[in-house]
Amino acid sequence: MLVLMPREADVGVTPEEPGVPATSPQDLLERVATGDQAAFSELYDQMAPRVFGLVKRLLRDHSQSEEVTQEIFLEIWQTATRFDSNRGAAVSWILTMAHRRTVDRVRASQSSRDRDVRIGIRDHNPDYDHVSETIEVRLEHERVEKAMSRLTELQRQAVSLAYYGGYSHSEVATMLKVPVGTVKTRLRDGMIRLRDEMGVAS
Amino acid sequence: MNDRNDDFAAQSGAYALNALSPEEREAFEKHLASSSETRTETTELSDTAVALGLAVDPVTPPPALKNNLMALIAQTPQLPREADVVAESDADSVDAASAPMSHVTPLAASAALAADDPAEQSSTAPAAPATPAQTKAQARWFTRPATALAAVAAAVALVVAGGVVADSIGRSSIEQSSFASQQADQLAAINAASDSQRLVSTVAGGATATFVWSGELATSALIVDGLEALPADQVYELWYIDDSGARPAGLMDAAEDGPTWRVLDGDMGAGDVVGVTIEPKGGSDAPTTDPIVVFESA
Repeated sequence: MLVLMPREADVGVTPEEPGVPATSPQDLLERVATGDQAAFSELYDQMAPRVFGLVKRLLRDHSQSEEVTQEIFLEIWQTATRFDSNRGAAVSWILTMAHRRTVDRVRASQSSRDRDVRIGIRDHNPDYDHVSETIEVRLEHERVEKAMSRLTELQRQAVSLAYYGGYSHSEVATMLKVPVGTVKTRLRDGMIRLRDEMGVAS
Repeated sequence: MNDRNDDFAAQSGAYALNALSPEEREAFEKHLASSSETRTETTELSDTAVALGLAVDPVTPPPALKNNLMALIAQTPQLPREADVVAESDADSVDAASAPMSHVTPLAASAALAADDPAEQSSTAPAAPATPAQTKAQARWFTRPATALAAVAAAVALVVAGGVVADSIGRSSIEQSSFASQQADQLAAINAASDSQRLVSTVAGGATATFVWSGELATSALIVDGLEALPADQVYELWYIDDSGARPAGLMDAAEDGPTWRVLDGDMGAGDVVGVTIEPKGGSDAPTTDPIVVFESA
């Protein structure tokens, strides 16, 4: 099971943050699975800024980001019945789906990206310097930043381009001017290193 | 074989980051079903990717997005629970869990939207029985049948994209939205019907038309991807045609964005032919031009 679970784990630990949710996403998602629209409303309030932030990070375009966020939450509504907490945390389930759907959209609107790939790397790191509103997010920043600093430069670039840029391994290979096989290896090595640094274990 | 497995094992990071091509993703998911070692690693790396996602600054979406969603979910059915689905299906079918919704897939294809994911549509979990402990330790959402999920999401996305645009002719906005929601309900009902059938054809001009119907419900719908917009003084008109002639079955304008679709007015008779013609604004009582597409349901 995931160790790095903010909401479920941190409830009560960050009293500085007003409006700490009374109900965990896990419980809410289980209620959503019974057709509970009020629970969906609360789950949306808790998770939409996370999802929208991630989608926007990858897509950049505001109106497309809204569309994709809507599709993601509709899918959450429809498929909540298939969520099984024995198989993973609610936040993981939601963010994993959100990332995949967003990457699908990124790939579907490829034209401007071909240019990016040719021109080379842009800044795809999260905004580490940005002062976050909540302690919770700041702690996550620091944790990821610290773990990222343990990677080799190539690992770090490859992981960032893939996750925060939504680039495929072959695009990453073009941008970093290394063979695709090398990128695959670096992505795996890099993620394993991050897993170990952040103490993520099943 | 060993080399091949090593090859797959090396892709766990790329998979967790969604950096594989659709074909590779599909092949990798098949491999996951057979390798518990890779599965465990992939689970952990996927959770690590989630940690990367949690480091992104949250951004609050505009309030209208939530209002929209709350209205949408109020009329969007949820998938049946997995256990229920399996219980209703034949246990010997490998694809048991995804079968009941599979008839939605062509709609998903016509939706041409983000949720339409060929890799996911063919990924299915192995039917081999697992002990509860194994299930708990190893199975994750990405090893489960995703066909139905992707298809339903796409079908709904289709409704969202095309819903209000398809028939906005001569209606107030309130009438429009209730009309759109009725249409969406009916489209969902046709797709959910046990005798749901479909035909695909090419429209003059190159658009792809999908006709879906249910004899039990005597209802049908037409979905056209890439339908050309007409001049303001013309409209597309749908017809049910039987031995006694053509009955008007509704008007539609091309959607500005996404597929154009409409549930046909009136009851569909067994063996009815369905056609679409271009008519003067307001429609005609009988077709005045040759049809741009025809479906024979018999």
